[in-house]
Amino acid sequence: MSLFDKFEKTAALYNGLSEMGKNPFTVVMEEVLGPTRAKIKGRETVLAGTHNYLGQTFEPKAIAAAKEALDREGTGTTGSRFANGTFSGHRRIERDLADFLGLRHCVVFSTGYVANLGAIAGLIDPAEDVVLVDADCHACIYDGCSLSGAETIRFRHNDPESLDKRLARLDPKIKGKLVCIEGMYSMYGDVAPVKEFVEVAHRHGAYLLVDEAHSFGVYGKTGKGVCEADGVMDQIDFYSGTFSKALASIGGFVASNHPQAEYLRFSSRPYKFTASSSPSTIASATAALANIKETPALREKLWANAHRLHAALTQFGLKLASGPAPVISVLFPTREDAFAAWNFLLDAGVYVNMAIPPGTPGKESLLRLAVSSAHTNDDIDRLVAAYGAMADAFPSAKTPA
Amino acid sequence: MTGSTPSGIQEDDDLVFRRICGLLEPLNEKGVKLTRDVDLVADLEIDSVSVLDIVMDIEDYYDISIPVNTISETKTIGQLVDAIHAIKGQG
Repeated sequence: MSLFDKFEKTAALYNGLSEMGKNPFTVVMEEVLGPTRAKIKGRETVLAGTHNYLGQTFEPKAIAAAKEALDREGTGTTGSRFANGTFSGHRRIERDLADFLGLRHCVVFSTGYVANLGAIAGLIDPAEDVVLVDADCHACIYDGCSLSGAETIRFRHNDPESLDKRLARLDPKIKGKLVCIEGMYSMYGDVAPVKEFVEVAHRHGAYLLVDEAHSFGVYGKTGKGVCEADGVMDQIDFYSGTFSKALASIGGFVASNHPQAEYLRFSSRPYKFTASSSPSTIASATAALANIKETPALREKLWANAHRLHAALTQFGLKLASGPAPVISVLFPTREDAFAAWNFLLDAGVYVNMAIPPGTPGKESLLRLAVSSAHTNDDIDRLVAAYGAMADAFPSAKTPA
Repeated sequence: MTGSTPSGIQEDDDLVFRRICGLLEPLNEKGVKLTRDVDLVADLEIDSVSVLDIVMDIEDYYDISIPVNTISETKTIGQLVDAIHAIKGQG
């Protein structure tokens, strides 16, 4: 018996993928050429498997702000938010985010993953509270539940009635109830009926946390997310998000109208015991946030690109996981087909993400195309041509006529 | 369901077991004979999320809630059956 025995099955799976062709889990961006282009295996490739929704990785104002912060405050904070790692920039972006979202309080964490870990484990007392989680929630929400040690109950994906039943069944002695959902889900690009979840959660005296990691900057009239699109920004209890997608940096946050949310700074181990984001990552995120406010055209372009790509893929007869959204996933019946199609696209100069069960919501594997407002007409032409050829080569990816 | 006859628990046990087996059978690609000792992950090679999905079907059928924490502690079909009985008993 060794520590490593348990890895053998996983290693066999990934090594098997390597033997079949290029491995989606070992891709290296050898040279980054712009927000939607990089060299992979020596070849210029269109990036459609990043989460650069608003194309801000090369936003000049964000780059200038990051350079300025680097010169002024150095490379890193060398400490946690709780100790020596809170600089004025961390406080400023908390205020800017709170203002942008129209929520009174905001706490910034080191990544989006850490923000959800910190919110759930920081809020929940395992002795008297429970967490109810949408079946398709991201791993960081489940890991937050594990870290909290509290009883965790899973309800059916995007199904407020399933949540209703589970809340009704809870022991009346339970004190706090936290419901966790996401705005847009990253695997299928489908969106939660947040308004209905607000009604069900509050009717049972539960708090609602909405993770808008993928929908922040993307959904809603001003980019506040699915909560804004559903008209419930002022009704949700906790809003979590990340800097690593629309803001093209690294970091995460939890915002709330509850004044006690500030206590997360004391109660949350993931806030207290990891280093804070460096001054330059905070500065670029701050500039990118300002740019979202000033430039609605970013969001308009993203959606125009998403509609165009979704229409083209639909016309090819590909089996898509959901309606037009910045994430467009093609479903494949087997892992092998998805893997071969992923390689086919990479050979055609297109990089997308591959996901296989249990990392996917259903039994199918999928290729995920993440749209960017920075995708040029030329990028989109190449994506459409590559997907068209793939549809011809892989009939298993099509919906039965 | 089966009343309070002395054999009730055994019979009910059998029904829970059979219901779980019915849900597992479509995923039992290797055709393993389903007994209480069968390990869901090691023997049936069912991934953790599929186990959680099966549990949701059981929850809705029996109108009970089975915490994720409980499921992560069960390895065999028998342990899952026992966990469901324990929760049904509380209700």
